[in-house]
Amino acid sequence: MTVAEKKHRIIEPDSLIGKRIPKMDAPDKASGRTRYIHDIDLPGQLHGKILRSARIHALIKSIDTSAAKALPGVHVVITAADIPDQRPIGVAKDHFPLKVGRVRSERDEIAAVAAESEEIAEAALKLIKVEYEDLPVIGNPEDSIKPDAVLIHPEPHGADGTHLHLKQGTSIAHRGKADNVAMRFDYAHGDVVQGEAESDAVVEDTFKLHYVTHCCMGVSGMIAEFDAAGNVQMYSNTQVPFLHKREFAEYLNIDPARIRIIQPPIGGGFGSKLDIYPFEVICLYLARAAKRPVKMLFTREEEFLASPTRQPVLLTLRSGCKKDGTLTFRTVHTLHDNGAYTSWGATTPFVMMQTFSSLYRVPHCDYHTAAVYTNNPYAGSFRGYGNLQATFAIEQHMDMLAAKIGMDPLEFRMKNAQDAGEVTGQGMSFKSCGFKECITTAASRSDFARKFAENQANQKKPGNIKRGIGMASMLHVGGGAKIYPSDGCGTILKMDDFANVTLITGASEIGQGSETVLSQLVCEELGLPISAITVVNNDTAITPWDVGVHASRTTFIAGNSAIGAAKKAKGKILAVAAKKFDCTEADLDLRGGFVIRAASGEALVELSKLLRNLHFQEKAELVMTTFYYEPPSVHQDKGFKGDVSAAYAWGNQVVEIEVDTDTGFIRLLKVTGAHDVGRVLNRLGIEGQIEGGVVMGQGYAFTEDLMIEDGKMKNPNFRDYKLVTAPEIPEMDIAFIESMDGEGPQGAKGVGEAPSICMAAAAANAIANATGTRMFELPFTPEKVYRALHGQTPKRYWKPWKAE
Amino acid sequence: MTELKRYYAPTSLDQAVECLKGGNVTILAGGTDLTPQSQAGRIKFRETLMNIRHIPQMSGITLEGKEIRIGALATITEIMEHPLVREHLPALVEACDHFASDQIRNAGTIGGNICNASPAGDTLVPLLVLDACVELASMPETKLYRHCMPISTFFTGSGKTRKSLCELVTGVRIPVPAAGHVSRFYKHGTRPALDISTISIGVAGNLKDGVLSNVRVAFGAVAPTPLRATATESALEGRHLDAATIEAAAVAARDEVNPIDDVRATAWYRKEMIHNMTKRMLENVAQA
Repeated sequence: MTVAEKKHRIIEPDSLIGKRIPKMDAPDKASGRTRYIHDIDLPGQLHGKILRSARIHALIKSIDTSAAKALPGVHVVITAADIPDQRPIGVAKDHFPLKVGRVRSERDEIAAVAAESEEIAEAALKLIKVEYEDLPVIGNPEDSIKPDAVLIHPEPHGADGTHLHLKQGTSIAHRGKADNVAMRFDYAHGDVVQGEAESDAVVEDTFKLHYVTHCCMGVSGMIAEFDAAGNVQMYSNTQVPFLHKREFAEYLNIDPARIRIIQPPIGGGFGSKLDIYPFEVICLYLARAAKRPVKMLFTREEEFLASPTRQPVLLTLRSGCKKDGTLTFRTVHTLHDNGAYTSWGATTPFVMMQTFSSLYRVPHCDYHTAAVYTNNPYAGSFRGYGNLQATFAIEQHMDMLAAKIGMDPLEFRMKNAQDAGEVTGQGMSFKSCGFKECITTAASRSDFARKFAENQANQKKPGNIKRGIGMASMLHVGGGAKIYPSDGCGTILKMDDFANVTLITGASEIGQGSETVLSQLVCEELGLPISAITVVNNDTAITPWDVGVHASRTTFIAGNSAIGAAKKAKGKILAVAAKKFDCTEADLDLRGGFVIRAASGEALVELSKLLRNLHFQEKAELVMTTFYYEPPSVHQDKGFKGDVSAAYAWGNQVVEIEVDTDTGFIRLLKVTGAHDVGRVLNRLGIEGQIEGGVVMGQGYAFTEDLMIEDGKMKNPNFRDYKLVTAPEIPEMDIAFIESMDGEGPQGAKGVGEAPSICMAAAAANAIANATGTRMFELPFTPEKVYRALHGQTPKRYWKPWKAE
Repeated sequence: MTELKRYYAPTSLDQAVECLKGGNVTILAGGTDLTPQSQAGRIKFRETLMNIRHIPQMSGITLEGKEIRIGALATITEIMEHPLVREHLPALVEACDHFASDQIRNAGTIGGNICNASPAGDTLVPLLVLDACVELASMPETKLYRHCMPISTFFTGSGKTRKSLCELVTGVRIPVPAAGHVSRFYKHGTRPALDISTISIGVAGNLKDGVLSNVRVAFGAVAPTPLRATATESALEGRHLDAATIEAAAVAARDEVNPIDDVRATAWYRKEMIHNMTKRMLENVAQA
């Protein structure tokens, strides 16, 4: 290239935003090169295994580990008695990792072994003798609130029947609980009595939501190692490394500075890795005792038994509206089956009440949840976080109320849908809102109105195949959620002598595509191709703080943080360039790897050359910046009111089905979705995320069912727990509504959870449209559908109950 | 951790049955049942693990006189794709097409499906309605002894058969159906692949002028063994396949099965499906 040509080189404007960018981790994953925790082995490593309870609810009378300890190859065998400083874990601190004196569910951890091989560890478990004394089992939450119910967490006694070796404290694990109510939530705005008085139509129904679980393809695991100085290094699948670093330090009674968490690529999260589970703490205990690295991996059966579930819910909803279609009130009571211990599932009301209070305009809303202890598995956080359950009830009532006043379900929704600028009774402020456009787009693209009327007319005609169409809408946080003291994320950005960027972010990649989106946002600011960036995001000793992957927050929060750091870098570069070219910074821009004149696009200097000049001079400098982004959201007050997220995501999905009334089989034909995503950043990524969410919602609606009977799991395997398989996945037509959120990174909002929320509700409405039969309980398996169609499903009514 | 002491891969039938004489042998063919069952601890390996995959007399699908002989080692995929089977035994093809997944069909054998003797074994119901016989080989003294047993008498319970520990299933023989023979198979599972039958139904017979004769009806997953439905057969034998006959047969079918509740379905639903789907299959036959 001659000097003359170079002078006139013009760089045309280009943008990475909205393009189809393949995920940066895709080539390694597709070719089997990714090293998951399962593929990592440390020198000298032992293998840990856990002995779980043989009973559902029982006192532990004695544990004999002598034969296990004597087995050659066994290094360490521990029980609660070996860990005198054991501290309770979990959201309500009601859970000792190794059980003390009592087991409360099938998954309960009694002892653990570290041995030379997994086989030896398994053999050692078989040699441990435990004597139990059975207690009555509470297999459902309705029994748990009966006055004479056995207490799940009575005042605890150790194995010797006394408190002697129990550390005193104020947690439930230490002091017990005088009733079975683990948590309660009560929210209200307006006056539901007045709302009901103004109503022309009122409906009340009980809905029952079942157990499902995440089914991450990579089973849970961890490797723990203590160095000679007592520092801990953990290879962990956590999706909240910084919060867990602090928590693990508490459980080990050490300074958090001594804990380093490294996150290998995670084989699926979906919320399941948002809490600390007993196996992780037990793995640390084993490594501490063995003075060797200890690796612990679940079997698939263990993954079913001992990883969390989605929150099962019993819910009675009373809703009303006026003849003109205006919603008047909602009264909601839910009974959450908390299982034996408390994890995030108990806190799903945070999200559920938002949907009840604010998805549509409702002047009066009264919401109550009691999460009660049983001997069942306990629920954690799971993509959608209670919203699938709430939406299932609300959106069925939307159709039922519309039918009652003779209004078209589409028109009824449009009449009550929120608009931009509204502040709801719960204090949520909708700065950007494409909700109505979502509804009309999904309806028109699916030809909803015509099909709805045709299917309804066809219900009573002969023939065993009936078609149905149904819709449901959703609202979910899309700009983080201010739950912790900070909802922020930190970024460190450095540029090298070749204009390559290293983005060091606190945000964890759990398969959702965050590293690709963050890279796009940084490269967009710096005018660089996506190939110019490396992301470091998996080591608490290197990366800056982030609250974790939850609440669909990473693109929004970590995105704004990455943009902030990139803008600072750009500012520094342009200041240097402005001096060099004797102009103002505003005259310049970065594009295509060059510093250019903003007005003409004329390339002035290669960015890499400018960076080298800056570096290799007398007053040497590097371009390295940091940024911390805190969203402008607020904490809720004691009444759960407040604008908890910086932005909100909206959507509407239309489901089309075919029901065979002779068998109850439902074929899912098509899903049409319209989602307000703020702005599409990575089109390929967001399509994948929406499609994956739809399939997860499909599994929840139709096939997945973790069967629990009196605390015992009947189907802890993929033969009988039915994930959706490829041929069952329907045709999808997904539209993106770009409402350009003012606070969002390049206008985007978070949508990680959004696509899974509507499916079950829309499917229920489609079944009603096809057959005239309403189904209030999930899942819609062939037998359940057949029973409902043939009058074999008694209508359930749960009389609202409020904890004292 | 196991009692397994010896691995043996015979290359002839004589070697195999001689090895079986002691009876303390676990037989391995495709391994699609044996592997998961042994790993789950439901099956314990015996002293010798004998891999029978190298025995030539046990492979292939051939026409032998008026019978189609399917070697015990024929995989489900081979059976499904074989011209003889596709021409004469559509009900068996249908069962193979709903059998597990491609990967399992490529490894799993018909001999294994028969010997596993699951009440929900996918090929067993079509074999029952096609009057199949099971070929057995053993070595009582020093000479190879072979005989056949009708498959309708072969199963004695869930996972149990009349085959002794000294015997080997070498194949199945199915009479070539005559002209006018019809056969149907239906598997009720909740998804297109990788599913265990909730129920399965096989129907076969000779159809002439709307009359069904030599009727065979069999059901899977409604009893400890796959079974022939004799009352249903009687309700159909020699009758004109009209709406009344079909409904009577469907009712007979529902009444003669006695299924259980399990994770896949309740007994009530199984009986309903036996009724509804027997009826639908017979209507389909009547229209043929």
